[in-house]
Amino acid sequence: MTARTWIGTGGYVVFLIAAALIAASIGGSIERTLVVFFISLIAVLGMGVYSGNSGILSFGHLAFMGIAAYLSGILTMPVAMKKVTLAHAPTFLANAHLDFFSATVVTVLFVMAVALVVGVVISRLDGSSATITTLGLLVIVHGIIIGAREITRGSQSFFGVPRWTDITVAASCAVLAIVVARVFKDSVFGLKLRASRDDQLAAGAMGVNVRRQRLISWVLSAGLVAIAGVLIGHFLGAFSVKKFYFVDTFALLAMLIVGGMATVSGALAGAVLITLVSEFLRRIEGGVDILGYQTPQLFGTTQIGIGLIILLVMYKKSGGLLDRLELDEIVLPKLLKDRVATAARRSSPPVVPDGLLEAREITKAFDGLLALDKVSLALKSGEIVGLIGPNGSGKTTLLNVLSGMLPATAGTALIDGKDMTPLPAYRLASMGVSRTFQNIRLFGSMSVRQNVLVSALDKWPSSSTRSADAMVDLALETMKLESVAETQASTLSYGDQRRVEVARALALNPRFLFLDEPAAGMNREETDALMDDLKGLREQFGMGILIVDHDLPLIMRLCDRVVVLNEGHVIAEGEPQSVQKNPKVIEAYLGRKGSRQVAGTLTE
Amino acid sequence: MEIFIQQTINAVSLGGTYALLALGLAIIFSIMGMINFAHGELMTITGYTLMYCGIAGFPFIIAAPIAITIAILAALIMERVAFRPVRNSSGATMLVTSFAVAVILQTLFQNLISPRSQAVILPDMLAQSIHFGGLSIGINQILSISITLTILVILNWFLRKTILGMAMRAAAEDFSVARLMGARANAVIAGAFAISGALAGVAGVLWVAQRASVDPLMGFIPVLKAFIAAILGGLGSLTGAVAGGFALGFIEIYLAAYLPDHIQPYREALALGIVIFLLLLRPHGLVPAFNVGREKV
Repeated sequence: MTARTWIGTGGYVVFLIAAALIAASIGGSIERTLVVFFISLIAVLGMGVYSGNSGILSFGHLAFMGIAAYLSGILTMPVAMKKVTLAHAPTFLANAHLDFFSATVVTVLFVMAVALVVGVVISRLDGSSATITTLGLLVIVHGIIIGAREITRGSQSFFGVPRWTDITVAASCAVLAIVVARVFKDSVFGLKLRASRDDQLAAGAMGVNVRRQRLISWVLSAGLVAIAGVLIGHFLGAFSVKKFYFVDTFALLAMLIVGGMATVSGALAGAVLITLVSEFLRRIEGGVDILGYQTPQLFGTTQIGIGLIILLVMYKKSGGLLDRLELDEIVLPKLLKDRVATAARRSSPPVVPDGLLEAREITKAFDGLLALDKVSLALKSGEIVGLIGPNGSGKTTLLNVLSGMLPATAGTALIDGKDMTPLPAYRLASMGVSRTFQNIRLFGSMSVRQNVLVSALDKWPSSSTRSADAMVDLALETMKLESVAETQASTLSYGDQRRVEVARALALNPRFLFLDEPAAGMNREETDALMDDLKGLREQFGMGILIVDHDLPLIMRLCDRVVVLNEGHVIAEGEPQSVQKNPKVIEAYLGRKGSRQVAGTLTE
Repeated sequence: MEIFIQQTINAVSLGGTYALLALGLAIIFSIMGMINFAHGELMTITGYTLMYCGIAGFPFIIAAPIAITIAILAALIMERVAFRPVRNSSGATMLVTSFAVAVILQTLFQNLISPRSQAVILPDMLAQSIHFGGLSIGINQILSISITLTILVILNWFLRKTILGMAMRAAAEDFSVARLMGARANAVIAGAFAISGALAGVAGVLWVAQRASVDPLMGFIPVLKAFIAAILGGLGSLTGAVAGGFALGFIEIYLAAYLPDHIQPYREALALGIVIFLLLLRPHGLVPAFNVGREKV
């Protein structure tokens, strides 16, 4: 959290409190509207903690809200009242009577526990599948609430809940929610989750356990939404299961989407806009008198209105009105320097122990096609090995297998003699394997600094965020990116994006670094500059580097050893000069006829 | 045993309808990456067309093709008017757009037709059944099963043997490459919507033929189930959609038939719970889509 973020969050808080004070002084329907607004805002912020940071929409949060409303209602309802309304409730619930605060705590913890169980499944699914499963969750919980008649009165109205939610309670909880949501977004968890939203594969390669990050945010967001559920139950006093189904899901999703789900300001803006529009439309729904003309009564005007707003925003600005920027980032751009210079500036990276990475007879088959056939290779610390071969020879596939992004069909990969073949990419990253991608895979919506920070935070919490910041500074300095540190990654030039790829891989402080065509698309000058930087890496960091490139002069000058792949086999290995003269290599590159001509010129 | 066979026939019939709906969703998803929430409203439109045709005195045999044609047209209009502007946006954007379209249509049905369920005039023949040993099989079930199977065979032929069908399969695997190879985006997408509209239309006719009524939310719940079926089968996989649809049909009917009475209220929740449990075992579905896990790195 930077000073700017705190000022921004303070701004939201002041806005909420001011709104609460004004509404409380007017009272009446305005006050009631505002209480509902605060409750919706809490729910939307809660949904945003998951959906905004992970990029996965959820229809399931209303289920958590429903569970919370019913459970807290049962807990706070006077025992005598329960004898009337819930005559068949189990004894422990029938006799329970808690105060508002304890009931809220119990409810929120219960909902978070439920979310944890459900989240284990949902976090395993990707994007759209996860979204639809949340839809399933909503239908399931709806069915259970109707089925569990003894404690919920089924589809009948559930009443007798004490009306304890007033504007003070609602406003305080909204303030809490907005601070939690904003802090989470900029926390280590939020940062890693947003990285996975921008590029799931790259996040994994940089050490992010995507499933775990999704699960954490899912449970936290369920907790926030549960607070909204408790509040709405104790505001209405009487409600039915319909309150927690598609109509309200639609309204809350609209609030989340219209403002822009990626930001806290977006949630706030969306909640304000949709509340205002719904209030207005609700008033004309029953028909109004305009200049003596009575408009007809229209059922569901609010729904249509919200629907049209969604369409309009999606057509014009699909990221939402505020898109990816927080209000504080718009209003206070340069007023405050984003970062105070780190005190502990590092000039050399933390020392990593020497090591050995070995590939033993790695085989990878795609259906019938053998992309790699018993490929063996070794990479020591401090060594630069070139991996070359014609297009389609299996170079990138080998990097993918060794970095855990593809499972090997057969064979083993070892680090210091330990088998690491079955490990997922994020575990390999923590073991010191880092990589760049041939087709750039940066976290596009994030700044260059944040991109690099994601991998630098791999060692958090066992190493501090301060040392991660120092690692970021070092990586940016090494790749000469300090001047663009605060720029959004996707707006950089192609060459700079490649440099960010390398910086991001460096910030993991790897023992083994895989560079997949780092010079692709660069001109001669850029390539030369890059080469000087890469040479420096070995001296400064001491890691082993495995580099794939088609720029043979670069490979020959840079590498200690060269391995040549052709059609999934290693056809040559050795010092650059000897490999260059190897007839098999020449043949692989130029074909048999060409190779004879070249062999002729070489022997002359 | 007879009860079991009877229930199995029910399951094939219900599962077939889910399969048709899930297939319509999967075709759109595999090509555009879009989850079309408004698919159910195509089914509802079919239902209302049948209702109006009945009132106008058209025989069912004529009303059904008219209703399916209207569903196809509605799908094409939906694509052209509502979805084309967000075609290249993220999955979330397209999903929310279609959700908004669905809600708007539902509200329009409520206001312009009726919020209440309306009766649809059907030929008496549909309500009759054939007795076969101890079994009694409804005519509409026989029709439903045979029509579903016919449609699946025709669709399979279309996708494998015709140019547009092959272009659509290519687009489902990799749309950008298919475009480079000369497949026309607008034609492929319009074709996909036409097919999904036809499938929703057929499903709508079968649905109404069993229930003889239509209401504004008629299509919403079966399509929700079809989404779940599509996920169970493997989102984006056409074979998977059919498999998932039938699987969900079997799970629901057998639960309804064999669950003890006191658990019956939880039947729907339990059915979906089973599906989610299956997903835990197979996160990519029963028949994963071709391009799952093949993203190029």
